[in-house]
Amino acid sequence: MNQGVFLNISRVKIAHIEEAFVKKALFLCAALSVIVTIGIITVLLGETIDFFRVVSLGEFFGTATWAPMFEPRQFGIWPLVGGTFLITFGAGLIGIPGGLGVGMFLNEFAPASVRAIIKPLLEILAGIPTVVYGYFAVTVITPALQQLLPDTEIFNAASAAVVVGIMVLPMVASLCDDALRAVPRSVKEAGYALGATKCEVAIQVTLPAALSGVIASFILALSRAFGETMAVTLAAGSTPRLTLNPLQSVQTLTSYIVQVSTGDTPQGSIEYKSIFAVGMLLLVVTLLFNMLAYVLVKRFRSVYE
Amino acid sequence: MVTTNRGQPALFEPSPPYALEVNDINVCYGTSRAVLDLNLKVPEHTIVALIGPSGCGKSTLLRSMNRMNDFVTAAKVTGEVLFRGSNIYGKDADPVLLRRQIGMVFQKPNPFPTSIRKNITWGPSINGYQGNYDELIESSLRRAALWDEVAGKLGESGLALSGGQQQRLCIARAIAMDPDVILMDEPCSALDPGSTLKIENLLLELKERFTIVIVTHNMQQARRVSDYTAFMYQGELIEFGPTDGVFETPKQDLTRDYVSGRFG
Amino acid sequence: MSNTHGMTPINSAIFGGSLRIQGEKKALTYQARATWQPRHRWRAFSSKLFKISTFLATLLAIAALIYLLHSIAGQGLERLSWDFITSFPSRFAAKAGIKAALWGSAYLTLLTAAIAVPIGVGAAVYLEEFAADSKLRRFVDINIANLAGVPSIVYGMLGLMLFVRLCNFGRSLIAGAATMSLLILPIIIVSAREALKTVPMGIRHAAFGLGATKWQTIRAHVLPAALPGILSGIILSLSRAVGETAPLLMIGALSYMAFLPESLQDAFTVLPIQIFNWSTRPQDEFHVAAAAGIIVLLALLLTVNALAILLRMRYQRKAQW
Repeated sequence: MNQGVFLNISRVKIAHIEEAFVKKALFLCAALSVIVTIGIITVLLGETIDFFRVVSLGEFFGTATWAPMFEPRQFGIWPLVGGTFLITFGAGLIGIPGGLGVGMFLNEFAPASVRAIIKPLLEILAGIPTVVYGYFAVTVITPALQQLLPDTEIFNAASAAVVVGIMVLPMVASLCDDALRAVPRSVKEAGYALGATKCEVAIQVTLPAALSGVIASFILALSRAFGETMAVTLAAGSTPRLTLNPLQSVQTLTSYIVQVSTGDTPQGSIEYKSIFAVGMLLLVVTLLFNMLAYVLVKRFRSVYE
Repeated sequence: MVTTNRGQPALFEPSPPYALEVNDINVCYGTSRAVLDLNLKVPEHTIVALIGPSGCGKSTLLRSMNRMNDFVTAAKVTGEVLFRGSNIYGKDADPVLLRRQIGMVFQKPNPFPTSIRKNITWGPSINGYQGNYDELIESSLRRAALWDEVAGKLGESGLALSGGQQQRLCIARAIAMDPDVILMDEPCSALDPGSTLKIENLLLELKERFTIVIVTHNMQQARRVSDYTAFMYQGELIEFGPTDGVFETPKQDLTRDYVSGRFG
Repeated sequence: MSNTHGMTPINSAIFGGSLRIQGEKKALTYQARATWQPRHRWRAFSSKLFKISTFLATLLAIAALIYLLHSIAGQGLERLSWDFITSFPSRFAAKAGIKAALWGSAYLTLLTAAIAVPIGVGAAVYLEEFAADSKLRRFVDINIANLAGVPSIVYGMLGLMLFVRLCNFGRSLIAGAATMSLLILPIIIVSAREALKTVPMGIRHAAFGLGATKWQTIRAHVLPAALPGILSGIILSLSRAVGETAPLLMIGALSYMAFLPESLQDAFTVLPIQIFNWSTRPQDEFHVAAAAGIIVLLALLLTVNALAILLRMRYQRKAQW
């Protein structure tokens, strides 16, 4: 009765061949991720190098006027960087304290029933497409700002900063909540047993213990704000301008790229190639931010494992 | 209900003054009762041991003495615990203030993930200690028998110490607050015998200044260290009295069965 | 002897009352009690302040969400109609509809899923089940984490150069789907790996013990067990894809389409781009149309996510250990 079962060599052979084949196919899938990275770098690098054959690095990083379409052409990157930084900073002002506050509320005060409502709401907030935020900025935030401060231009950095801040808040909240939860209960109890109030334990015991995770969340939020495209394109305008005044219109690295690629700039021209140089800068900065956050999270995890 | 040979529970009243008086304490978690109608008086400057099998409610009772049960949302405490003549569960009583006077050392050492120095000084600093911090650190560590081992490395992380050293650091941290009572929840159960011995010797010195209530599942430890022993079973206080009496001539059959190892 | 520090009687008794001990037992080297100044009122106040400010932060965040949804609904609900969904865009705001955009989004998402899901899940299976924990694998892990953080517009640039130009797909549906696949690939890989990690090792060992190959084990036991998590991850990534605008703008999705795409090489548009286009018009009527389009988009996303939750619950019930 049992002769056939264990001697079915051909079936075993087929299984092994199948395994080898599948393994190779899956390997290719995994390798694709590396290929994508190489692709991104190659594409950007190629065009960027072409760009810098015409425009010198000195002009790019050394001058402060960005006027690629006017005569005389000028390619100083700082107005775009300034615009991006202005909005990123403003978004951070809203999203970082707000997100940390929500994270702390969820961790210290919210009972399970309240958590069960707030966490999904935060996920909804995080899942709203960025173009919707841009629309909201243009149709609601900007008019409100104009009523409050009549100097506000129709396109302005503040409006964009507000919605991008709202956009990154759930990310900060969720990551901070995770980081704060990871602090062992016994450490908090030690704090309470010494006669400390909830505020003192939360801020002087739990938060320092969760610090690298919390800081990582801030960095990721800033990185996200830095790379945000649609909300700033709709709300902030297209005036490359180095300014600290959030009520004026500015242009960010990302919205410049959108402007050129959806316009009718001829493909081989130097203005067109400039979007790749700008994209390269964008990529490098966000990559640096993300690597920093990644390192911080790894270091944080190792403390408690 | 526990069936013992008691028509009357073996009530023993130690002589005043008392550091803590537990009167008719009941602690429920939802529908299950962890501590039932418990009455206990803890005399000052003594070591009282709470012993009993797992799940008898001794840790719950301990935690209700400094209102650490407040953090467990499902726990309901009725009855009163008198400290300095006032009920700590009274309407306006502030648990934060209370824990300054009744400190706690936990089962698993839980130093803060900061320097040894910061571990000791944090409690006093938030409570407004006005004296010399360096003296405070040295005296607390000396009294916890840890000073010689860490004197030069106060800036190092508390987590870098061994298990026994960490627990002594936690004891030093509690001592630095200069409380009246120190509650200890099985402080040696996670430690090796050498560290356990060091800490037991420590306790005998500490009772000069503090009153200590210690939960332990190690009966030999209770015999070595405590002046009074309370035996609990399924949430009730079965017997309470001077340690030698409880272990050598227990008044309840249940006590005798437990201390002789018939069940555990 | 006791200083009440402004406390209620019971607290001053607990805190400041004298301890009734025999004087001789008091060790002289201990600090006298008078050297504590607990600033009790301030600490209780700051604790309250802390509670209020964190609660306020949460309230404001939720309020922002509600206000956003409410104002968009207010602007766009009345414009919503069957006509709106079945008309093509037009120069006249009153006649404009989202038919092309809606179908474009649907086609694009399905195509993207068809490309990205097998590759993403396959990569996750390889990395989690087959690859040994070596330096190379950790490098790949970091690489994927980086890719997840790259701004979406950079993916658009990649898609433009690679798919539109190099592969000569032109500004077509297939180019768009390929680009979006690259964008959501890291998300699928990461969430699928998390799902695979939750399957206990014991299952795999049991299967190996019966003489099964790795692939047989994965196909028959591991993948089905990880299915709820993998599905959630897929739906999450597709939600992201539905809402993306920038990469598609870069590869040249149209903003004005008067017909539906019929083949993979056809031009296309998607909901977010239509919304974007209408938002940038000066006329208010187009803004109203944009708001209506947003409502449709959000409804679509809500449905997709609800589907995710349902699927997840269904498969979780099936996979009982």
